[in-house]
Amino acid sequence: MEEALLRIRDITKNFGGLHAVDGVSIDVGTESTVGLVGPNGSGKTTLFNVIFGLHRADHGSVYFNDERIDHLAPHQVFAKGMANAFQLPRLFHQLTTLDNMLLAARNHKGDSLLNSLFLRTGWQHQEEEFAEKAMEILELLELAHLNLSLAGELSGGQRKLLEIGRALMADPVLLLLDEPASGVNPILGRKIFEKIEHFRQKGTSFFIIEHRLEILMEFANWIYVMDKGKIVIDGKPEEVVNSPTFYDVYMGEE
Amino acid sequence: MDPLIYILDLVVFIGIFAIVALSLNLEYGFTGLGNFGKVAFFLIGAYTYALLIETGLSFVLCLIIAALLSGLIGSLISLPALRLREDYLAIVTLAFGEIIRIVVKAEHWIAHGVWGISVPPAIFWQGASFRMIIVTHIGLIFLCLLICFILVQLLTNSPYGRIIRAIREDEIAAATLGKNRLEYKAQVFMMGSAIAGLGGALFAQYIGYIEPYMFLPMLTFTVWIMVLLGGPANNWGVLLGATLVQLFDRGTKMVKDYLFVPVDPNNLQYILLGILIIFILLYRPGGLLKESQVKTKALEKAAQWKRHS
Repeated sequence: MEEALLRIRDITKNFGGLHAVDGVSIDVGTESTVGLVGPNGSGKTTLFNVIFGLHRADHGSVYFNDERIDHLAPHQVFAKGMANAFQLPRLFHQLTTLDNMLLAARNHKGDSLLNSLFLRTGWQHQEEEFAEKAMEILELLELAHLNLSLAGELSGGQRKLLEIGRALMADPVLLLLDEPASGVNPILGRKIFEKIEHFRQKGTSFFIIEHRLEILMEFANWIYVMDKGKIVIDGKPEEVVNSPTFYDVYMGEE
Repeated sequence: MDPLIYILDLVVFIGIFAIVALSLNLEYGFTGLGNFGKVAFFLIGAYTYALLIETGLSFVLCLIIAALLSGLIGSLISLPALRLREDYLAIVTLAFGEIIRIVVKAEHWIAHGVWGISVPPAIFWQGASFRMIIVTHIGLIFLCLLICFILVQLLTNSPYGRIIRAIREDEIAAATLGKNRLEYKAQVFMMGSAIAGLGGALFAQYIGYIEPYMFLPMLTFTVWIMVLLGGPANNWGVLLGATLVQLFDRGTKMVKDYLFVPVDPNNLQYILLGILIIFILLYRPGGLLKESQVKTKALEKAAQWKRHS
């Protein structure tokens, strides 16, 4: 397992006296979909925040492509090739759907102050290319007709899709998805996972928190179950579902 | 008094304040930085210009140095200040504005404290009438305004403009999309301060005499009203706001002489401005003109796409 894409080793994060994440170790392999499940408050989202540099871990380390990333700020983690979609979409409401997508484009020459002002011909064609790519993703997510609407005018499900689409726009090597199918209807939830599978086959790895177990179990290669900040069991989906530990975590111990 | 001079004087002030309002629009309207110390950079620009022009440098050079120095001080202030959350940034910048003014007032060696300093006229020639000199100033000020306007327009209609708007909307989300928010905010703060400094320098040049009491916090708030009224994140709106607020300012100054009101007529203006802000925020929170879109080739491309499908 040493060659795993993302290696989380013994991560601990406390908030005051609360052990939100308590000595967690996880591996996410290349071109795989790894699921993270567990009851509310078990520390899943906190772990994601630690990986992406939004929280600093109290202890432990995170390696991505054999490079230690746990001391990096979020924008540096992004630069390493990761992307992230929040559980509650954090869109830029006063910007259009298209602009929300374009913001995730990597290596855009126009991102720097001087280029934006004085090298306008240098990035205008790049803008066209990125717009085309953004439109293709939006089409896949059935949002293309809303490309010039403000993100703040989208419905809940559309926002969820745009949040995921924006992360895909970044061409990530590894994408962290926090409950991609929550808050959307069952059919759409399934569709989202089918898109995820589509991108996984093209080489993107996924690390997914999800409560919709029936869908997750179908698409994931490996499942970690978290409870009270600790990983209690991990394995192939069918092994995990049939284990008594899993039953205890979700249904409460007898 | 020559009524034409009065109108020309009004145009001068519209131009100067439009420049400062543009700089606040870049900071607040586009990037969401609540800079309540605008007057500090206006003051720095004005005093830098006044002190430099005395040495006999050409006024163009003095304007440029005044803008650069304001920008430099702006970026120094921004380093600690931008780590703060919005409301604290507002408090820090507000305090900075007052500190700068009080230092200039108390430290006699800088610029004669409360006595102020006169700014030797740099734009005049033999036999020029008073009107002609003002018209020349208007030409200079509007040229500067045009340059600033074009710069801000270009910047806000570029990928950079998209990023600073994103930082305004949700800086954590912007950070997770690879944007170094502190760097962007510091750059914007530097540019905003430089443009405000240019406004201050033009002000000093036109007025011909400056003293610390010309740089009270009220000036900052006046600029804020211009941005809020005209429409944050819309550069045309800010020009409109600057014009309207200047007209309002002049109008209330004239009207107050003919009014009998139960308050000190000198405060009437402030009361009315306060009411104006409340009305804007209640009934037109986005300002008169809506936020402008990021206009690049990407927008054209996407707009065509819409027609295809």
